[in-house]
Amino acid sequence: MTVAAGSYFDGQSAARHKVEVRIENDATLVLTGATLPQPQHWPLDRLRALADQPGVDGLTVTLFSEEGDESPREPARLTLRDGEMNARIRRLCPDLHRRDVSRGTWGRVIRYATLATAAVLLMLFVILPRMADTLADLIPVEKEIAFGKSITLQIERALGATDLGDLHCEGPEGQAALDKMLTRLTADQTLEYDLDVTVFDHPMLNAFAAPGGQVIIMRGLLDQASGPDTVAAVLAHEIGHVERRDPTRHALRTVGSAGLLSMVLGDFSGGTIAALLGEQLLRASYTREAEADADGFALDMLNAADIDSSGMAEFFEKLEKLEGGLPEVAAYFATHPASAARAQRARDNAARNDNATPALSPAEWQALKNICG
Amino acid sequence: MSDTTRDIFGRYSGNKGELFNLALVTSLLTLVTLGIYRFWAKTRIRKYIWSSIDGDSDKFEYTGTGIEKLLGFLVAVVILAIYLGIIQMILFYFGLNLFSQPTTMAEAVAQTLAVYISFFAVVPLIFFAQYRARRYKLARTRWRGVRFGAEPAAWGYALRAIGHWLLTILTLGLLLPRQTFYLEKYMTDRSWYGTARFEQQGRWQELYPAMKHLFIGALIIVLAVVLVATTNSPGIGGVFFVVGYIWGMIGLVSYRVQSFTYLTGHKVLDGSISFRADPQTSTVVGHVLIGGLLVGLATGALLFVAGLIATAMMSPAALTGSAGAGLAAVALTAILYLAALVIASALSLVWITQPIIDHIVSSTAVENADALDAIHQRAMDSGADAEGFADALDVGGAI
Repeated sequence: MTVAAGSYFDGQSAARHKVEVRIENDATLVLTGATLPQPQHWPLDRLRALADQPGVDGLTVTLFSEEGDESPREPARLTLRDGEMNARIRRLCPDLHRRDVSRGTWGRVIRYATLATAAVLLMLFVILPRMADTLADLIPVEKEIAFGKSITLQIERALGATDLGDLHCEGPEGQAALDKMLTRLTADQTLEYDLDVTVFDHPMLNAFAAPGGQVIIMRGLLDQASGPDTVAAVLAHEIGHVERRDPTRHALRTVGSAGLLSMVLGDFSGGTIAALLGEQLLRASYTREAEADADGFALDMLNAADIDSSGMAEFFEKLEKLEGGLPEVAAYFATHPASAARAQRARDNAARNDNATPALSPAEWQALKNICG
Repeated sequence: MSDTTRDIFGRYSGNKGELFNLALVTSLLTLVTLGIYRFWAKTRIRKYIWSSIDGDSDKFEYTGTGIEKLLGFLVAVVILAIYLGIIQMILFYFGLNLFSQPTTMAEAVAQTLAVYISFFAVVPLIFFAQYRARRYKLARTRWRGVRFGAEPAAWGYALRAIGHWLLTILTLGLLLPRQTFYLEKYMTDRSWYGTARFEQQGRWQELYPAMKHLFIGALIIVLAVVLVATTNSPGIGGVFFVVGYIWGMIGLVSYRVQSFTYLTGHKVLDGSISFRADPQTSTVVGHVLIGGLLVGLATGALLFVAGLIATAMMSPAALTGSAGAGLAAVALTAILYLAALVIASALSLVWITQPIIDHIVSSTAVENADALDAIHQRAMDSGADAEGFADALDVGGAI
């Protein structure tokens, strides 16, 4: 019978016991030593080796036990450095490398995961949006305007302006045309904000609303628009956002949810993709609704001002061409509703309105197009 | 033998190949499980590193589990989701109320900083999470069959950490040694090995010599500023600035190594067991620089190859103009990029972290080790949130 030397710790004291170890009947490990009060009998089927150990020579084993401590394991440890004995143990112990889990653990994992998911979803889709809406209503208008100004400044800077107002287009005739269009759109409306419409000298085909009544139109939109009706439609749409306080609400909502999402999903690798996708999905679901509302607002405004909403349809058709037939799934990630559907809605509306007149005269339209000089 | 005291020397036996394979496999698993495997990945790497450390041929053991980390994380997520979502939004709202009409670009930029006050909602939690993470790590570490442990005192730590940081910032770093010393003392005095308690002795003023190179770096930077301001030669000032910055960075490593040496040398366990450590700053700096260079080069090469493959895939997609092929190419690029990141993190564990641990362990010794035999087991600590907060807040590194 071969005997091997080992180090044994009983899990009760830090004192080391030098032990002799042998295997009895291929079924039990027997530990004896001068400092051990009595021999220990370890059944081989309950023997477990520690996982992820360095090297292959040494073997540290312990016993499986239902009560256990952190894992279902006895606190005692035995380390053996005898190659022959270790090989025998590896051969004789069927479950040496089994990773036992305490009973009921997986049930707990499922329960906790469900609760956590529910809590996060509740925050993202119910509590934070409600809070954002309330806070957006509470914020004083002059603070909102100041916040909006600083946002437009940042965008200006991102677009390449080095100083305040570098990108502003201020051709007097163009400004007059713009004012006229604005007056016509807002004539019979009671608006909560004083609108401040600015044209930026930038080729991007875009327009946006910032908090506090500020609307920015990019020169690219004027260049590529099929006529003044298109610009009026886009302007009306942005005014819709302003009136609904969308920019402010979205800023608040993003602050609340962005940190939360990156916390839940964020780590450097796989989680980052998930976090990005999640954030985009979330943003999209918030804004698609807001966009549809702003479209509705714009159509009402155009109808009231007797402007043909075909201009809006043409704009969306142009957008659709630019998007260039992305696969269907992409629609879920897009922040705007499908352009084709929006164009159709504008066309249907235009068909019902017969007494429309152009938003600007040809001369005024030319002046607006040249506002950037 | 019985009337002379015996020393135990630390030894590290992990090797690069084994750890690299482990790190690679676990981080790939983390990648394909969208991050969920990270709890197990961290556990397995810790098990390997802990077990590579031994004193007197008795290995350390890490007994943490992946499942308890996952559960802790889920609990932390619920608490943080509610706390952070609400607090950050309210702070942002008050940040907005600080806004006034900006008149210059600089003013506008300064104002947007007000938005970041929402960050302060996280600060106390970060310190809280740091202490909890250390407590969990101690509670799951065993040596000679006996658990380490720490008392639950995370809020007290967070409060003191905030106070010390404020003091350090207000004094432009002059009170950094005081902060280092008292925060370490707070944690050490609440740490246990079995039934024996640790105690941090010494005086914070004695950490000033460790700051030598930080001071030199700062002096050079001040000199650079003075040069630029007085001599009209931004070139020389710039060179001084870069030199001062690099000196300061190395000075920071030197400070950490030397304060560790001092603090370890003044720790006492159970009133009679003491410690000795003499890691060399130059060795640690060498591992950081050479390891960093190797990892950087390897990652650069990998990213280059990934870029080549992506370009090769992209161009036919661009030619045919098919959106499907384009998306596939984008996805492939993302995967290659992530794979390069995974390999980079495994490499930095193997080439930077492990050699430094090896050096520090090998230069540490326990004095009067026979007194260890009298120490008994301590009760199991639930581990609190098992680092859930630290994980959710991204506090603490790879291990």
